[in-house]
Amino acid sequence: MDGAARILRRYTGASILIAVFLLIVNYIILGTFVFKGMNDGSPPIHVTQTVAEGLHQNGTHYTLEPHAQEWLQKSQAWAMLIANDGKVIWDYAIPNQLPRTYSLAEVAQFSRNYLQDYPVFVWEHEMGLVVVGYPKDSLAKYQFHFPISWISDLPYRLLALLFGNILLAALLSLFIGSRLIRAIRPLISGIHALSEDQHTQVEAKGMFSGIARSINHASSLLQEKNALLKARDEARSNWIAGISHDIRTPLSMVLGYASELEESDTVPYEQQQKASIIRKQGEKLRSLVSDLNLVSMLEYEMQPIHTKPIRLSTLARQIVTDFLNNDLAETFTIELDVATEQCFVMGDEKLLVRAITNLVQNSIAHNPSGCHIHVQTALSANQRHALLIITDNGKGMEQSMLPDLVELPYSSKRKYPLQNGHGLGLPMVARIAAAHHGHLLLTSDTGKGMTAELCFPLSS
Amino acid sequence: MEEWKQKKVLIVEDELEIRNMIDGFLRKEGFARIFHAGTCKEALAVCASDKPDVAILDVMLPDGDGFGLLTSIRRFSQIPVIFLSARGEDEDRLLGLGLGADDYIVKPFLPRELVLRLLVILRRVYAPPQIDRLPVFQLGDSTIDLEAASVTRDQHEYALTAKEHALLRKLYENRGRIVTSDALCQSVWGDDYYGYENTLMVHMRRIREKIEPCPSTPEYLLTVRGLGYKLLVKEEL
Repeated sequence: MDGAARILRRYTGASILIAVFLLIVNYIILGTFVFKGMNDGSPPIHVTQTVAEGLHQNGTHYTLEPHAQEWLQKSQAWAMLIANDGKVIWDYAIPNQLPRTYSLAEVAQFSRNYLQDYPVFVWEHEMGLVVVGYPKDSLAKYQFHFPISWISDLPYRLLALLFGNILLAALLSLFIGSRLIRAIRPLISGIHALSEDQHTQVEAKGMFSGIARSINHASSLLQEKNALLKARDEARSNWIAGISHDIRTPLSMVLGYASELEESDTVPYEQQQKASIIRKQGEKLRSLVSDLNLVSMLEYEMQPIHTKPIRLSTLARQIVTDFLNNDLAETFTIELDVATEQCFVMGDEKLLVRAITNLVQNSIAHNPSGCHIHVQTALSANQRHALLIITDNGKGMEQSMLPDLVELPYSSKRKYPLQNGHGLGLPMVARIAAAHHGHLLLTSDTGKGMTAELCFPLSS
Repeated sequence: MEEWKQKKVLIVEDELEIRNMIDGFLRKEGFARIFHAGTCKEALAVCASDKPDVAILDVMLPDGDGFGLLTSIRRFSQIPVIFLSARGEDEDRLLGLGLGADDYIVKPFLPRELVLRLLVILRRVYAPPQIDRLPVFQLGDSTIDLEAASVTRDQHEYALTAKEHALLRKLYENRGRIVTSDALCQSVWGDDYYGYENTLMVHMRRIREKIEPCPSTPEYLLTVRGLGYKLLVKEEL
């Protein structure tokens, strides 16, 4: 699922960035706070040096310069000068318990560590060794020893450490991300299913259980709404089917008796003519009723379509031939033009015949003074669709009226009122085309004839 | 023709007015022995007592439907049946015909149509057995005998090949009307006819050589450009 992969990619990228950022911030903090704290105030070694330089011999006395004394006071430190023979020859605020004589071993010992737990620092003096001691537990003394090669490798080691960190961050974020994705994936597929109007049931557990429950709820709501819509469409379609059915029986009688009167020799000629009008109008009503039923079923997708591969040219030839065989008036000429025989569509033959016949019939009905009708089957420019084009050179129709023609009569989408005919013919053709995953395209202008183009996906 | 009208007709229809209307048409056409029934029960009773020769059944009846009624009738009788129904959906028609009905007419209907279909069925079911003979007809100076598969012209007899015979027969059945090349090919080569259009033209030329006085300007077997062929028959024997 590309959605999940994208999320994982983004998530990992963001995590790595965050990790690197944290690393850098830490370095800076370490650098500024920690090392600054080490050098805070007066470093002991500096104090020791100041004391050593400020200690002058004055005969047998030693005097400490005031500013060095000040340093010592500020640090609460004590100081002493050990002569080369190990005796303390000068001291300042030295704790009492400290000895006044030191052996070489003792000096070596405390110069590196502590003198009776006092952290002490030493500096060379012309008369011996200056020792400065800080209060107990005030300083930690550490000594580090590194091989030179280690020190010279340090930049590489730091670089390796940085990359190692980045790699670890990447792996960790990938791991956490993939766990997240595993939790999210059912949600994503659930949402995809929702958008495709399919029923979905996401398992509600883990941190996304709330979202999962929402998705499940939305899904069941959608299903309910669909079921309701379907039930309503079915009711509507059944209602129309019922009405069509109920009209058929009385219409049988109207047609039956009217045609009987029309053919009866005992009825005067004038009355026969009236009966003929009744019969003709009855026949119109009959075609209206059957169109109405078909249109309503197509509108609500109730018409079962029995598709099979159909060669469009065969169909067109049959329809044109039927018109010619069934006494087409002499004012009309009809011509077939087959661009290719290799033009198959998956379709319901009866419905397609009805649609094409309807279009030809339309040209005839709207041009009572006659016209030339041209029926053409062809492939579309991109070779993916089958086209059936019916053109007449009749009086045509105003361009602005065209979109109306495929809308159902009396529907809110129709801008102009119905002019002639029952207006179900073209909407029916458009719906038959749609039921075959195709469409109907009308082009016309006043005085320029009418072109109706049926476009269907080709069957392989 | 008149002998068919002596047959007994049963009309099963719950609407009295429609029943009377059909009755009226049939009587006007010369049928005299007509029985009525308004329900399945009555219909079965009439079938048992009066043994009608043909039945016209409505589909929707107060105590059941015509499909069930037909099934019941078929248990003891093989009489021809026409459904006459306001239900015209494909499924209903297929169901009716699938149950063994001889025809299915959807209301509203023209009475003339009902009578013609009724007569066709009666003729087919009750006609005395006769040998089916293919027609013999005249095209100008040629006599075409489809039974013998031969054409006689100027004291010459030309034999028709099987394909030529099948084509001429199809054309003769639709004489005066255009037959599409698809329909012609299908009648000769069956459903896998595609690709035989050129062969069809060759066969048509051979037929013309046999039946036309001047094959290059045909008078009887005409080509309708882009659609198919048409056989013009002026006189029949």
